Amino acid sequence: MRDLSLHLLDLIENSTRAGASVVAISIAQERARDLMTLSIEDDGPGLSAPPEKATDPFYTTKPNKRVGLGLSLFAATAERAGGRMEVGTSPLGGLAVRATMQLGHIDRAPLGDIASTLATAICSNPGVDFRVSISVDGKSFDVSSAATAARRIPPDDAAFLVARQVATEIRNAMAALKLIE
Amino acid sequence: MASSETPKAGKISSLKDLQAIKERVLTDTALRADGYKVCITVHMGTCGIAAGAREIMNTLMDELAASGRRDIRITTSGCIGVCVHEPVMTVERLNSEPVIYAKLDANKARLIFREDALGGKTVSQLALGVGKES
Repeated sequence: MRDLSLHLLDLIENSTRAGASVVAISIAQERARDLMTLSIEDDGPGLSAPPEKATDPFYTTKPNKRVGLGLSLFAATAERAGGRMEVGTSPLGGLAVRATMQLGHIDRAPLGDIASTLATAICSNPGVDFRVSISVDGKSFDVSSAATAARRIPPDDAAFLVARQVATEIRNAMAALKLIE
Repeated sequence: MASSETPKAGKISSLKDLQAIKERVLTDTALRADGYKVCITVHMGTCGIAAGAREIMNTLMDELAASGRRDIRITTSGCIGVCVHEPVMTVERLNSEPVIYAKLDANKARLIFREDALGGKTVSQLALGVGKES
């Protein structure tokens, strides 16, 4: 994966395929602590294997597959930047994946196009509420795809239009918060 | 109603024929029930994402917005086992066989959207095959 936004897309796809109806994504940067935290949580069925098994690249729950690379690649990306990835249970009831890394680490992957990742997820999953939280040194921005869709009047509530609006809001928020790429 | 390619009742000779009818009816009904005439599925397994599937989605969303159409659905699904051909997408028009397109980039996705999804013509030179993902 070239950047962190592609890892997030991969994990979001896991959540939606597992049947989640709410997916919460959080991106937080704390400059004073040289810390970046990414998390994704959902209300899906959660993990059916022990956490250490989930990060084994040769373990997958999908039939007819031999490898499950998503979580193991994300863990490797976090560790390469002086951090780690943890898998657990979310207060939403499903899976929680949380990765920390040193914000200024020379090997930290760039954040990438978070807005496009969310646009892709929203466009293809109109029934799922994607809740995004971005914070930089305590200042934060929050958006929900379900709330955005509810504000639009049919037929302008089509999934791809909601996706594009949320993506624009995320791009604007990232610029306003001066998120470090 | 099934399409003209579906075996007629008198010509059903195997379980495979029945399965084909079932799949076709399910597909047609699913597309029609939602009011969509075309469904484009971008395959978003880890392999597809790493190969550039998100850029294909971005292109398709831009094209859909520019077209003004509201009866085309763009969605995603997982890996279909042809990782070496990623990025891959399937275009499914009502009452037509789904067509799988492979080794895509933004320009190819744009061409396929205009020719196939909007124009109703398969772009043969970019097609990997015909049929549903397994």
